[in-house]
Amino acid sequence: MSGPNGMLYGGDEIGALVFDPGHHSLRVGYAQEDTPKADIPAVIGVGPATHIPEAEEKVPDGNVTQSNTKKDELRYYIDVTELHVPRPGMEVQTYMKDGQVENWDLFEKMLDYCYSKVIRSPSEHHPALFTEAVWTTRPAREKLAELLFEKYQAPAFFLVKNAVLAAFANGKSTALVVDAGASQTSAVPVIDGYALVSAAVRSPVGGDHLVAQAKHMLNNMHIQMLPIYSIQSKEVIRERERARYTLKTLPAGLTHTWQQYMLKRQYEDFVHCVAHVSETAYDDRSAASVPGLHYEFPGGYHQDFGPERFKLSECLFEQSLGAPHLVCAAAGACDADARAALWGAVVASGGGACATGWLERLAKELAGRAPSAHRLKVTAPPAPAERRFAAWIGGSILASIGSFQQMWISSQEYDEGGKGQLERKCP
Amino acid sequence: MADILDILDIEHPGASEITRDSIIHGDKVKKKYVTTKAVRRPEGMHREVFALLYNDNKDLPPLLPTDTGKAYKQTKAKLGMRKVRKWVWAPFTNPARKDNAVFHHWKRASDEAKEYPFAQFNKQVSIPSYSESEYNQYLKSEDWSQAETDHLIDLCQRFDLRFIVIHDRWDKAAFRDRSVEDLKERYYNICSILSKVKTNPWSNTVTMVNGEKRIYHYDAEHERKRKEQLKRLFDRTQEQIDEEQMLLTELKKIEARKRERDRKTQDLQKLISRADSGNSTTNNQANVTNEAAMPTNTVSNIVRRHDRKLHKKKLATQQRPVRTVETVTVEWSGIKFPEARGTGVWLRSQRMKLPPGVGQRKTKAIEQELRLMNIDIAPTPTEAICKHFNELRSDLALALDLKNALASCEFELQALRHQYEALNPGKTLSIPPSICNTNADGEAKPLGEIIDVVGSPGALNSTI
Ligand SMILES: Nc1ncnc2c1ncn2[C@@H]1O[C@H](COP(=O)(O)OP(=O)(O)OP(=O)(O)O)[C@@H](O)[C@H]1O
Ligand SMILES: [Mg+2]
Repeated sequence: MSGPNGMLYGGDEIGALVFDPGHHSLRVGYAQEDTPKADIPAVIGVGPATHIPEAEEKVPDGNVTQSNTKKDELRYYIDVTELHVPRPGMEVQTYMKDGQVENWDLFEKMLDYCYSKVIRSPSEHHPALFTEAVWTTRPAREKLAELLFEKYQAPAFFLVKNAVLAAFANGKSTALVVDAGASQTSAVPVIDGYALVSAAVRSPVGGDHLVAQAKHMLNNMHIQMLPIYSIQSKEVIRERERARYTLKTLPAGLTHTWQQYMLKRQYEDFVHCVAHVSETAYDDRSAASVPGLHYEFPGGYHQDFGPERFKLSECLFEQSLGAPHLVCAAAGACDADARAALWGAVVASGGGACATGWLERLAKELAGRAPSAHRLKVTAPPAPAERRFAAWIGGSILASIGSFQQMWISSQEYDEGGKGQLERKCP
Repeated sequence: MADILDILDIEHPGASEITRDSIIHGDKVKKKYVTTKAVRRPEGMHREVFALLYNDNKDLPPLLPTDTGKAYKQTKAKLGMRKVRKWVWAPFTNPARKDNAVFHHWKRASDEAKEYPFAQFNKQVSIPSYSESEYNQYLKSEDWSQAETDHLIDLCQRFDLRFIVIHDRWDKAAFRDRSVEDLKERYYNICSILSKVKTNPWSNTVTMVNGEKRIYHYDAEHERKRKEQLKRLFDRTQEQIDEEQMLLTELKKIEARKRERDRKTQDLQKLISRADSGNSTTNNQANVTNEAAMPTNTVSNIVRRHDRKLHKKKLATQQRPVRTVETVTVEWSGIKFPEARGTGVWLRSQRMKLPPGVGQRKTKAIEQELRLMNIDIAPTPTEAICKHFNELRSDLALALDLKNALASCEFELQALRHQYEALNPGKTLSIPPSICNTNADGEAKPLGEIIDVVGSPGALNSTI
């Protein structure tokens, strides 16, 4: 803080941390920074502690949270450098379900990792701001507060709905926030920084659905997605030629969940590179006129993808499950007086909104559906990273604003009032 | 902050520059900037032009491009030799918090401790409160239980009267669903009741006007209707919107056509009135408008109605002679000469000018009367003459109006008599002499031709 009266740009940084847990990844970092320090996959590898010698060597500098090498002890492998190594018997588990944390033991491991490896500073020094989905249940919220105060001794804690933060990240306090995440797409109206819970709508069509579609499509095209960790070497071949490669010898006992997880990452990569949302509903002729995009698979096979690119992403804009429909439903559920403001500030966030052409398609479909009495404006940060991390960035902004510092639930307050006050203090 | 001061080139009082001089001479600090006499920009010269002539160095710009500064030769950046002011990670308490929690932030070691500056933004809406007994005494309602009212007030406090959010977070499990208007109605009702019975009212619903309490009144019925309208507006289908758009453009077209028609009618009327035959004027006019009104029964309702009105008006004028009793009212009472003139010099004769409201015919009639009375039409405008002349003309105008009105009354009377005699053959209607004015007849005639009494049809005057 500085300036003549101590209020330079209204900011005051108090060393707070911002956590944004999602189905795809957990974003964590210091408030007042513009990107999270780490973006950690929201899954944890759980395996027996003693198998690979190199991993044991790593124990002292510790990318692994539990370093006990006794038999029957479990070890937790977190973040890509640990997780993406083939290990016999390592199962991949997720702690998220339906937009909120479900497996608290695993989530604790994740927080341990965040504090020790990402933040590298004791948790009792940093107030923690968490984002949550709009429909997070009360027990889950209270459990989180309890965990932070009792286990991590956080000096202060706060929970904000991620839609509100995404609106803040776009410089708005009233907005209709569309969040295209991994497990779902949602539309949440935000008025003056408060999410309208009863008007929020969501559909299970998200990034994961798109990935499943991609898998289906490649199967139908008889293109094999070989796991990248299984390839020893590959030869350069011509387009659409049969792949020639040699396989690695892998340790025995790789679990199914881990293999599926690794393959999903590869399909995700394919989707990020190839999928393209067409500006209007898919039609063969206009799709064919756009040049194709080249993609090489891990085995070495490569080809151009033309109309498939557009056909693939069409599933995101299905009639009653796509983002445009959600926006209309959410706006329609709001009070008539609020609608004009909401239509004028439709904000897109989440990883799904990074797909090429997604925002343009949304804007176009909404222009067709929005009542003509309203001025429609669809916005999103231009940079893909800012779109994906919109909720985290909003949290970073909020936690470093001087006038926000009175809102935290401090540990004193928690000791006196218990977790019951969460509903009141973090609406 | 120092960075900004540097950028703006403002000397910071706390940190003086360390130079060899300042070290050697100790506290004898030489003033750095010698204030030169500022050259003032001459009045009327543009800022840009002045800036060309006088830059910061106060010398004229060179005629040829020159490069005398060492801007490009200087290889090393000139770094400021300021003393660094320390930052510390210091604890602070925030008076806006009730729990005195201690947080830490960075602050200048030199900055003295003062109240947390952001605490001043901690503003809250004041919401009325009531005790149990107060509730029972004043606020009881059939529609609202106390628990529900308490819930409402609690939400109002938590969401600072954002009723849309309050409605969203309304406990629908415990209480029945209510509309935003219901909630507002109850809240403002409570406010007004409590502000009447309690001494300290709430600033946001009560304003003091001239020492008198004015309580905000929330018109729930009106709001409900408004929202209903709004919803209907939003719920229009695309077809309805298109249809409305279509109708609006049609309306515009029709209006343009109508204007065109009106213009033509007026032209025609002018031509006719130049011929100055009163009877044919009205008839023709009516015919013209009738004809013109014909093609409009095509599209918009509004326009049709409008035209019909026009139509009716014309018909009314036509029907007038058939009507038997006509009340003649004299609304005109002399001429009002404008009193106050604009500032500045003016001629007194201006005061004798008839105001623009007085018509051409009337002016002519007055002039004629003046001539009959042997009075100059434009006398020398002394103060007294001005006054009297204006009064005279005003009276004359009134007299003319009255005469005219009398003439038309006379006519009505005669017409009624004729009608009576026609309906009852053989009988004669004797008119008492008190209301009969026979000798006015001769005089009224010429006047009637000139002046049109308000409300009496011009067509009748000419038939006398
Ligand atoms: N460039 C891209 N093109 C298409 N999809 C993308 C792109 N970048 C990220 N995604 C998808 O976005 C999803 C991740 O989005 P995000 O990080 O917002 O999800 P999350 O917040 O972790 O999940 P959720 O909101 O469901 O809990 C993934 O499914 C990913 O495949
Ligand atoms: Mg998300």
